Amino acid sequence: MQKKWYRLDTAALIFPATARRDWCNVFRVSATLKEPVDTEVLQHAVDDLRHRFPSYFVTLRKGIFWYYLEESARRVLVQNDYAYPLTFMSSRELKQNCMRVLVYKNRIAVEFFHSLTDGHGGSVFLSNLVARYLELKHGLLIPRNELIKDLLQDPPGEELEDSFLKNAAEVASGRKEEASYRLHGIREQDGFKHLTTGIVETQALLDAVHRCGVSATAFLAAVMAESIIGIQNAERQRKRQRPVKITIPVDLRRLYGSKTLRNFSLVLNIGADPRYGDYSLEELCRTIYHQLRAFATPQNMAGMIAANVQPQELTILRLAPVSLKNLVMDGVYRRSGESGGSINISNITGLSLPAEMLPYIERMEFIIGPQRSYPNNCSVMSFGGKTYINMIRNIRESELERRFFSRLVELGIAVDIESNRR
Amino acid sequence: MYCVKCGVRLQDGVENCPLCQTPVWNPGKIEQDHAFPDSFPKHYRESNLAGAVAMTLLCAVVIIVTLIVCLQLYGALRWGGYVILGLLLFYVVAVLPLWFHVPRGEVFVPIDHAVAALYVLYICVKTGGHWFLSFAMPLILISCLISTAMICLLKYVRGGRLFIFGGFLIVMGVFTVLVEFFEHLSFGVTMFRWSLYSFAGFASAGLFLLIAGMIPSLRNELQRRFFF
Repeated sequence: MQKKWYRLDTAALIFPATARRDWCNVFRVSATLKEPVDTEVLQHAVDDLRHRFPSYFVTLRKGIFWYYLEESARRVLVQNDYAYPLTFMSSRELKQNCMRVLVYKNRIAVEFFHSLTDGHGGSVFLSNLVARYLELKHGLLIPRNELIKDLLQDPPGEELEDSFLKNAAEVASGRKEEASYRLHGIREQDGFKHLTTGIVETQALLDAVHRCGVSATAFLAAVMAESIIGIQNAERQRKRQRPVKITIPVDLRRLYGSKTLRNFSLVLNIGADPRYGDYSLEELCRTIYHQLRAFATPQNMAGMIAANVQPQELTILRLAPVSLKNLVMDGVYRRSGESGGSINISNITGLSLPAEMLPYIERMEFIIGPQRSYPNNCSVMSFGGKTYINMIRNIRESELERRFFSRLVELGIAVDIESNRR
Repeated sequence: MYCVKCGVRLQDGVENCPLCQTPVWNPGKIEQDHAFPDSFPKHYRESNLAGAVAMTLLCAVVIIVTLIVCLQLYGALRWGGYVILGLLLFYVVAVLPLWFHVPRGEVFVPIDHAVAALYVLYICVKTGGHWFLSFAMPLILISCLISTAMICLLKYVRGGRLFIFGGFLIVMGVFTVLVEFFEHLSFGVTMFRWSLYSFAGFASAGLFLLIAGMIPSLRNELQRRFFF
């Protein structure tokens, strides 16, 4: 039987082109249960999801003109977790499967190569995986809804579509951005990634957020910007400083009503320029919140989508061999998008699991890997009244984490810290 | 348990605060419940097999073409020997490590030096010289020792990079003096015509690094400026 294949969506094109011998863009979603995971049952659950989520059980292939995803002949096997999350996904591994399912004690983690999907798609897959696992393990009857899919049905076309193509504006917005401040430090030579998880009560966080009159994402981005400005102040004179920008992914599904489970988010680089004066936390909150509100509009995002879509519609670029495209896309990546920020803060919200699943799940988390151009990253997910703030880094220095979490404590938010330090 | 410096609550059993490294008092010696296992992945980066295969084929083609041309033209190797051994040296230095996932410098550097010695010996014999044992061999041996020691220190000693680089620069200065000394022994040239200048340059740069290693503020400034 002929294997199914899928074109990479517009956002996914950049990830194979920017991959390096020791780096590629991967992220992880995980669920920690209240009991140890039965790996055999989990393997059955993984296999059962193959029919409903065909675009995740794929390999990355290289065509003459474009990369594409091809249905994988291999099972996605449940593996034991490693000492650190998001271990390197080599090109050899991507030719077998672009996704991993990992288990450690009570935790089920799924790591995705970013060309498959974004954080939303990843969390939908994980929710369905956990739901299927609980059905097989405990015989639960979990009702189907927007989140938990009927595994016997074929995936509707709208879940597999490239929603970027539908929603691009006629005129593209510019990509040019001023270079931002970059954190740096001594890199871990063996690829180790330090993960520091700050666990806060969601209500305490929301109380602090409401006091500032902004959204949770804007508040956390403001605290992060304040921490980075503090590091830059200790390092450079004001006139030699650079803007501090927080890269915030915007889930475009809400703006355009899309149901796709492939990539459909774009990033905004938002922040403040410390060369022009000092900012209080309240000022940072306000400026980030209002920039976010001003830029994350359907019209503005449509212009940004067009900036990604239009180049791939140029005949001359379409006919260029994939290796040449890689060079061009690598150049674009280095000058725009996530590369233009100082750190990324991804906040996954709006994941409401059916009540039948809740007694079995302790926590859910989301972790994005360090970018190629900067060593720290931050991802946030709330579950069961707690918010899990995961800060990852591939350098030894923990100064940013120290400043960020101790600032939250100063603001009256109690923080529990966990880490995977060696 | 709370960190007295950051104010965050820590996992039971941790020895230091993960944020500020402040030691944590743990009177009950509670075992830490680790969030991750101890196992590391087998590989954290890719080997460069495609590059290795391509370069091997290219080298093989050049060697075969050189052999054919020399044998057709002269019926003997003549200059082809220099090309082939030079290419072998290039292959061992630049291409051979590509075959390995994590090439070990402490293994490859002595091999590189051995092949370089072979190449120099060939040149010495072909040109009818008598300088291999008195000049080239000792210098290649010393160079091999210095570079292997440097690689081992960088690899197995955690920290103290400025001292290692500083020491290396001073040793390199001494090496240039030795080059002139063996030149003097083999070819009878006058001593200290140029080597003292290079020694002064290397030694002053090395001393600067050693001093920077001893002064934390200067060390931090250097780390910040030369970070890559």
